Amino acid sequence: MRNNKLDLKRLMFSIASLVDLGQEATSAKDLSAKMKSALYVITGTFSVPKAALFIYHPLHRSLELLADKGYRGSALQEIKLSVLPRHIKQFQGNEPHSVQGMAGSSFYERNGQILLKLQTKLFIPLFAKDEFVGAIALGKKIGREAFRQNEKDILRVVAHQMAITLHNVALFKELSRKVAENKRLYESMRRIYHDTVQAFSAAIDAKDGYTKDHSYRVACYAVVIARELGWKKEDVEGIYVAGLLHDIGKIIIDTKVIQKGESLTSLEKIEINKHPQVSYDILSKINFPWKNIERFVLHHHERLDGKGYPDALQSTELSDGEKILSLVDAFDAMTTDRPYRSKLGLDEVFHEVFKCGGTQFDEKITNIFFNLLLREMSGEVKDPQIIPHLRGNGTEASLPKWAWEASGAPGASNRNKS
Amino acid sequence: MSNFSLSSRSEQDIAVIMPKGYINTIGAERLELTSEELIGRGSKKLIVNFSDVQFINTIGLSIFLSIVQNMLESHSQLCFTNMKKDHREMFEMAGLIKHVKVFKDEKDAFNYLNGDINHAQQ
Repeated sequence: MRNNKLDLKRLMFSIASLVDLGQEATSAKDLSAKMKSALYVITGTFSVPKAALFIYHPLHRSLELLADKGYRGSALQEIKLSVLPRHIKQFQGNEPHSVQGMAGSSFYERNGQILLKLQTKLFIPLFAKDEFVGAIALGKKIGREAFRQNEKDILRVVAHQMAITLHNVALFKELSRKVAENKRLYESMRRIYHDTVQAFSAAIDAKDGYTKDHSYRVACYAVVIARELGWKKEDVEGIYVAGLLHDIGKIIIDTKVIQKGESLTSLEKIEINKHPQVSYDILSKINFPWKNIERFVLHHHERLDGKGYPDALQSTELSDGEKILSLVDAFDAMTTDRPYRSKLGLDEVFHEVFKCGGTQFDEKITNIFFNLLLREMSGEVKDPQIIPHLRGNGTEASLPKWAWEASGAPGASNRNKS
Repeated sequence: MSNFSLSSRSEQDIAVIMPKGYINTIGAERLELTSEELIGRGSKKLIVNFSDVQFINTIGLSIFLSIVQNMLESHSQLCFTNMKKDHREMFEMAGLIKHVKVFKDEKDAFNYLNGDINHAQQ
């Protein structure tokens, strides 16, 4: 009767130990803490003060220390057990091997000194799905009792669970390595993409000395507005690329026509007005990692009143991205010298853009852009993104009060500029 | 937040450790370190008072295993007091009880360690 009660208690204790081990093996702790906790569960369950857990490295053909308990100092840090494929074949899966019984084996000949140093009594190879993943070296029990048969049975179950945990760790490590590698490849591709796009952009702008860096500035201004609108990082990157490539269709247009300016014949106008469609045709063949690039480019000469080209879209048919490109393209054209006129002063640009608000340009987009520009001019913005491109356009001068008020900039009504 | 804490004190040559809360993570290794420190300072008699211990699992058991092992190796005396029934059963199951003296409370443990065996009740 007493023996039955004791057996039942032992069984309950074993179940509690397996529950503890399961909790530790599946915890969110980092690998080292998780394995240390699992080893503590094992040493607590089997009353073994000294134990070590090893993970198998197939490339090194060695068992390397993952966690240990009961050994003082750092003497164990460099410990490795040499394991050859024929040793693995000789191991019986997850079966506790008495070290005494292993004496004379090739594995013991190679590793006997280390096993003695660890005071190992039982060596338990860990197999998950027939794959050798590690081993546990258990020292003697406190009080030097021998391991009972039922303890060895439980050890097999524990070993199986530890093997699965190590196997999952190895899979996770491999997965993490591949994810990191893919991330590196993606970053490298992204850089190549950007370099290629920049090169295209430079080629477009090189057709006309007057429009040098036009695409780059358009891209920078578009980014400023997109950020102010709270766009996601990848969408901001997308409109930057759209800005760089919006005039790519000009590549097929005769340079003389591009440089001719305002005195274009009707045929030349038709010719130059083809460039958004040509840009679209070129870019739509590219599978960009960013959304809507070809659409933004196609419609960067559309107007809210439906008098733009190539599709004469109405305000409601245009997205914010298209409205942004339309504004910043015109803004850069007005603030740079052209063959047929000198660049305009900023007060003139303000006047022109606000005059066209609601017909050519979207007022929400315009207000955001000019609001930021005014804040940059007044020194409120630490890292200005617009005015570095506008030197010589009157950014150093005060702007008329109406410009501040029209932009809706904070504190506009208190500014005493006239 | 950890559910484990401990306090310790020394009275003459006897050191007392009072763990509190849950002894179920490797964070409770402080228990082992504290006992090592006390032994290192010359205490050859150690009492662990379990009155504020709520839960011990196999990780906790492993920590006590190290304490018992250290005490055996340093030929020191170790007493447990105020143990709950289930804690005592767990230590029995692990074969640890035979290496320590268990007393109802600290007073009995002090009597035993001070050599007053007649007034110590195990």
